[in-house]
Amino acid sequence: MSTVRLESIRKVYGEEVAVDGVDLEIRDGETLGIVGPSGCGKTTTLRTIAGFETPTDGRVTFDGTDVTHVPPEKRNVGLVFQSYALFETKTVRKNVTFGLKMRDVSKTERRKRADELLELLDIADLADRNPATLSGGQQQRVGLARALAIEPHVLLLDEPMTGLDAELKLRLRDEIGSLLDELDVTALYVTHDQEEAMAMCDRIAVLNDGRVEQVGTAESIYRQPTNEFVATFVGTSNLLTGVARDDRIDLGFTELADDMRTTGEVTVAARPEDFSLGGPVDATVLETTYLGQRKDLQVELPDGSTITMQVDGDADYRAGDVVGVEIDPENVQIFPTGIRERTTALL
Amino acid sequence: MAFPTTERERERRRIVIMCLPFFVLATFAGFVPLIVMARMSLSAENLENAGWSFAAWEALVTEPVYREIAWNTLWFATAATVVSVALGVVISHVLEKYSLPFENVLVAVVSFPIALPGIVVAFMAIVLLGRQGLVTNAVAVFTGSSAIDLASATSVFGLFLGYVYSLVPRATMVLRGTYAEVDTRAEEAARSLGATPFETFYHVTLPEIRPGIVAAFILTFRSALAIFGTVLILQALAVVTLRIDYEIGVGFNTQIAGAIGLVYALFLIAFTFVGLRFVSNKTVEI
Amino acid sequence: MTDYYTDSKAEAETGSKELRSGTESKWTSARRSASERIGRPTLVWIVYLVVAILVVPILMTFISSFASTATGVLPRGFVTFEHWRHVLGFGDYGVRANAIPGLTFSVLVATGGMILNVIIGIPIAYALSRYDFAAHNWVNTLAILPIVPGVILGIAFLRTYPDYRGSALVLIVGYCLLKSPYMVLTVQSSFQSIDIVKLEESARSLGASWPRAFLTIIVPHAKRGILAGCIITWTLAAAEFNFTYMVHTGDPEPFSMFLFRNISNAPYLQSAAAISIYFSIVVCAILILQLLGNRGFTTLNDDR
Repeated sequence: MSTVRLESIRKVYGEEVAVDGVDLEIRDGETLGIVGPSGCGKTTTLRTIAGFETPTDGRVTFDGTDVTHVPPEKRNVGLVFQSYALFETKTVRKNVTFGLKMRDVSKTERRKRADELLELLDIADLADRNPATLSGGQQQRVGLARALAIEPHVLLLDEPMTGLDAELKLRLRDEIGSLLDELDVTALYVTHDQEEAMAMCDRIAVLNDGRVEQVGTAESIYRQPTNEFVATFVGTSNLLTGVARDDRIDLGFTELADDMRTTGEVTVAARPEDFSLGGPVDATVLETTYLGQRKDLQVELPDGSTITMQVDGDADYRAGDVVGVEIDPENVQIFPTGIRERTTALL
Repeated sequence: MAFPTTERERERRRIVIMCLPFFVLATFAGFVPLIVMARMSLSAENLENAGWSFAAWEALVTEPVYREIAWNTLWFATAATVVSVALGVVISHVLEKYSLPFENVLVAVVSFPIALPGIVVAFMAIVLLGRQGLVTNAVAVFTGSSAIDLASATSVFGLFLGYVYSLVPRATMVLRGTYAEVDTRAEEAARSLGATPFETFYHVTLPEIRPGIVAAFILTFRSALAIFGTVLILQALAVVTLRIDYEIGVGFNTQIAGAIGLVYALFLIAFTFVGLRFVSNKTVEI
Repeated sequence: MTDYYTDSKAEAETGSKELRSGTESKWTSARRSASERIGRPTLVWIVYLVVAILVVPILMTFISSFASTATGVLPRGFVTFEHWRHVLGFGDYGVRANAIPGLTFSVLVATGGMILNVIIGIPIAYALSRYDFAAHNWVNTLAILPIVPGVILGIAFLRTYPDYRGSALVLIVGYCLLKSPYMVLTVQSSFQSIDIVKLEESARSLGASWPRAFLTIIVPHAKRGILAGCIITWTLAAAEFNFTYMVHTGDPEPFSMFLFRNISNAPYLQSAAAISIYFSIVVCAILILQLLGNRGFTTLNDDR
């Protein structure tokens, strides 16, 4: 397993810029997630590491070795696709041994390694089946075993769970997550499902419009988003506009302390759970959404802006009720206004 | 390109390599012979390409018989194509929308004539419309006339049947491909909104299969123009392919045969490329 | 025929029939529209009529080949294998009526054309299905439509390759070019039913060079389409007439020329037997095609 580095990768197709200066590091043994809206360049980034796209500018290195121009078959990279792409003309075992065969590993050794992996993934009894006869979850395990068999420098997973049903997804998520940890695999996990990325990845990179917006642990991305895009793309955020002066921010209906000492117009991102009831600001409930454990309230603040907040599922509020709202200043994020223009243009 | 370093360059090299075998064949078996045929039409000698002469092209332009042949070919092929495509729409509609018994067998039977060379199709026309033909004798029984007078296999009508016999299967197969991709939910929606089956067909199905109909028309018309064996046996109408055979067989007028062949080939190529501009390549299946 | 008046398959499933037969209201009518009462049966009868016109002469020919006399409308005197023996060369009369040498020659030439088609057809079908490139549509049109009709190609061949007139090589090359669209289309249809991009990328990421990935992964995945293409191109080449008629020399006499001679000169029943040989070949071809998922003699695969 290796450390993979992308250095100022740019990929241009004709007029269209798919990836616009991406710097990323996948550390030895970690699982890095890439999330972002469709068309943000996450698949292009993955294919650049695999070698199926040569970047217009920039370098790809594995453990410091430049592989930018190395063809895919010489990179030793494992690939797992959403569509599995299993070889339906071969048995499950032959699928898993294929990569080893290409490396001229002896037949007995190949078989041994394949059977170990199939055992590890709990599909040893399927070894002689045709992949076309397997269920989606089983096929995805075969795909994973096939990619792991070559002991890749890096394992690339392209939306591997999309298309599986919700329950299976949860189970496979835990299994694959712990397997990747156990085998100490360096992995890149591309997904549009942020929850999946949070559950499976050590760190997450948020991509937008061909650029990396933020890289960090799931917690830091959720709790300390560095710009509006990340704040709204990962989870739900209420964006409020305010004016900063001295070391306070005036939100119109309330004021917040600001130790960043920003000035001018700012955007304040607050999660639905950052609001609580029983505060001094009078707000009108517009709509309630019952979600079992919790209830989402759409409320209108005195300045006319609408926010979403969470209350207990049993709380009895109806549209038209007037409630007192309070904002928890600890967790809100403050960004200078203006970055929004670039990010929202894509949403 | 000798040592490509990017995946894009490698890909381009692969495209060239993969297309190369076909183009080598197309060059030696298609383009070169066509060019030699063009030269042949301008040759002063009829047994080899030697010297230059415009006699054949002059004859083609001035002699009225060639205009008549061109007219014969075009109207006959067009008529046979229109009838075949219309029948093809009906057959593929019925096969796709109604559950008829033995549908698999029906498809196989309809496709069967695609495999038959034109001379065999001519024989089929004789079996139906010849002096001993089934249709001829059935009509003879009902009308009381003599079967010999009624036999029409070697008439224009018999030839038309032969053309349609060859073309209906081709048209149907193209349209079956189109029909398979029609969105049945839109049709169901139309029916549930109160449209009759005919209204549904006219407003929903027809617009969807229109590209298929155009593609079927192009392919079928091309096939109609290429028919030779059927007309060689039945000899009912002087069309281009028969005339080419006549020019070679009677007097060995290779220059005129070459000139007709060239005009015909260029017409077909131009017709195809112009026609296909109106439809996506995806609809063209046989 | 009990469900003759029920509507299309799709509609039967959605049950909109119940809707119509329910209570009458402003928008609901129990009456069937004219297109349901008249249109549908008419269309069905047109199909039966066309199918009859297509199939009756074929059956009639096949049956006649076993009859001993055909002086009347319907052949009589069943069952005799005399005409079959005759055309297959086991008869007492003229050796020239024998189909076997011609058939053997044509089988060999058709097989050659088929193999050549595998060599040229699979790669270009792959390039067209897998890649997008500048002249894609032009190349596609060229590959899926025969460039020129057989008769014209034949004349052009005569002048271009006069020394090879009627040779197996000329026939193989000509058949290959004339029938290549069928190979390209069936193989393309196979490629479209699988995710060739992901398959190729999987194989390459596992260490297979691109040629190896193509030969050991992609080609086997398209084997049904390739087999179907082989059967269609072979069958069509085995009885190709228009091109053969122009370039053949008569020695050896290709099968289609044998058919031609029989159709234009031989007694009716003998022609019927000669043609029935070819019918038998086509029936076998269609049966194999059905096993491969093509419902008839067509490049369309219903399994996709």
